[in-house]
Amino acid sequence: MSQSHSRPRGAALIGMSLVLGLAGCSKAIPVDPEGTLDSVRNDTLRIGLSPNESLVEIKGSSYQGSEVQLAKDFAQSLGAKAEFIVGGEESLVKKLEEDQVDLVVGGISSKTPWSKKVGMTRPYTQIIDEKGKKEKLVLLVPPGENAFLGELEYFLDQTQEMP
Amino acid sequence: MKPEAGTHLPEEQQQLMRRATKLEWISIGYAACTITLVALVVGNSQAMRTAWVEDMLSVLPQVAFLTAGIYVRKSRRPTHPYGYHRTMSAGHLVAGVALLAIGALLAYEAISALVKVEHPTIGTMNLFGYTIWQGWLMIAIMTMLAIPAVILGQLKIKTAKPLNNKLLYADASMAKADWQTNVASIVGVGGIAFGLWWLDGVAALVISVGIVRDGWTNTRSATVDLLDRRATSYNGKDPHPLIPELEAQLRSFGWIKDCGIRARELGQVLHVEAFIVPVAVDLTMSQIHEVQAALEDTDWKAYDVVVTPVLELPDFFSQPREVKK
Repeated sequence: MSQSHSRPRGAALIGMSLVLGLAGCSKAIPVDPEGTLDSVRNDTLRIGLSPNESLVEIKGSSYQGSEVQLAKDFAQSLGAKAEFIVGGEESLVKKLEEDQVDLVVGGISSKTPWSKKVGMTRPYTQIIDEKGKKEKLVLLVPPGENAFLGELEYFLDQTQEMP
Repeated sequence: MKPEAGTHLPEEQQQLMRRATKLEWISIGYAACTITLVALVVGNSQAMRTAWVEDMLSVLPQVAFLTAGIYVRKSRRPTHPYGYHRTMSAGHLVAGVALLAIGALLAYEAISALVKVEHPTIGTMNLFGYTIWQGWLMIAIMTMLAIPAVILGQLKIKTAKPLNNKLLYADASMAKADWQTNVASIVGVGGIAFGLWWLDGVAALVISVGIVRDGWTNTRSATVDLLDRRATSYNGKDPHPLIPELEAQLRSFGWIKDCGIRARELGQVLHVEAFIVPVAVDLTMSQIHEVQAALEDTDWKAYDVVVTPVLELPDFFSQPREVKK
């Protein structure tokens, strides 16, 4: 039995390893399938803002709050200018999936159900919500853009105190 | 008839059973470590998740073996005249069906992730102040875990053969092939590393197809045994090598004109019915007894031997062999 199933599976494994070997001739790892990090660097970071009391305050055309600042700082670290798109969480998540924004901030908790659809950073800080419960905050990124996510998490590791 | 169940195994086999039991406990302990370690890094890779579930499933045949091990020792009684040997086959069937069902589910998940073009997201971990991509940890852990299962499998195969135990043999074969799952999950994560998101789904599919195949083989073999098919050996060799051996034993009696052995499996032992056609009709009790003793002495696997003198052999012995697919 072991032989009968090692052959087809073995062939599949060899095939897949070959593909990997060929792909290995490219650059830094991990690679973004859609190239988000490369397109943002020294260009524009499109930031989705979901309004939130103190983290993302929207007064007319001025955007304030700690997460707005965080996003601006990240853009700066990539040499990119920040571009803001305001919207509700659901529409911003959709924009992430459709590659229309690169980052979504707005007091998103680490338990967000959106993590099934898009990428999510590790929690970068902890707050106490209205009900007095501890909540860990995360940022949302496009799904599967692992180089971009890695870069953002590195930035958070360097600038934030993780809980 | 031989003495009570539980004492039916010769000393060597009893020792092997103890060894097999020990190996199965070690396997379960090892699986517990694997499951915990992989849980720490499993993340969003479909291939990793599939490999993780496979690790959990790998415990099923071991649990079945250990549970059955408790029952097969029980002696027979009026309500269970054949003893409890078949608990091994029942365990085998349960393990097979579970593998089949969950394997199919995982294959479906892998395919649907591919169809929906889901890009797996794998972030970083902060290890001692360094930001490290989790994929590296996955690959490291899967590499580390690839070897021990193979060694355990090898050891189990060595005990399964002399024990004539199909459940143990199936479990061992699965463990021996387990490294392929690890390699596949490494390839999947490697694919994500290079931006080839689909390689993850393909790897997951390869792993789940392997699980389905294991499930199918086990379910089929266990079902066929429960249907009282002619006994086969631990690796499915048909007929069981003991059958021609017993027939030769019968033919060595000068007064037997014609004979046939009907044997079915009771777990790791065989229930044997010997049909004999004597040369003369004045058969004595002592002759029958002699035949029965000779058959039982041939091998420990000839556990439950019944000798039936007949005027001519039942037709199923003379019917042409079924054409094998």
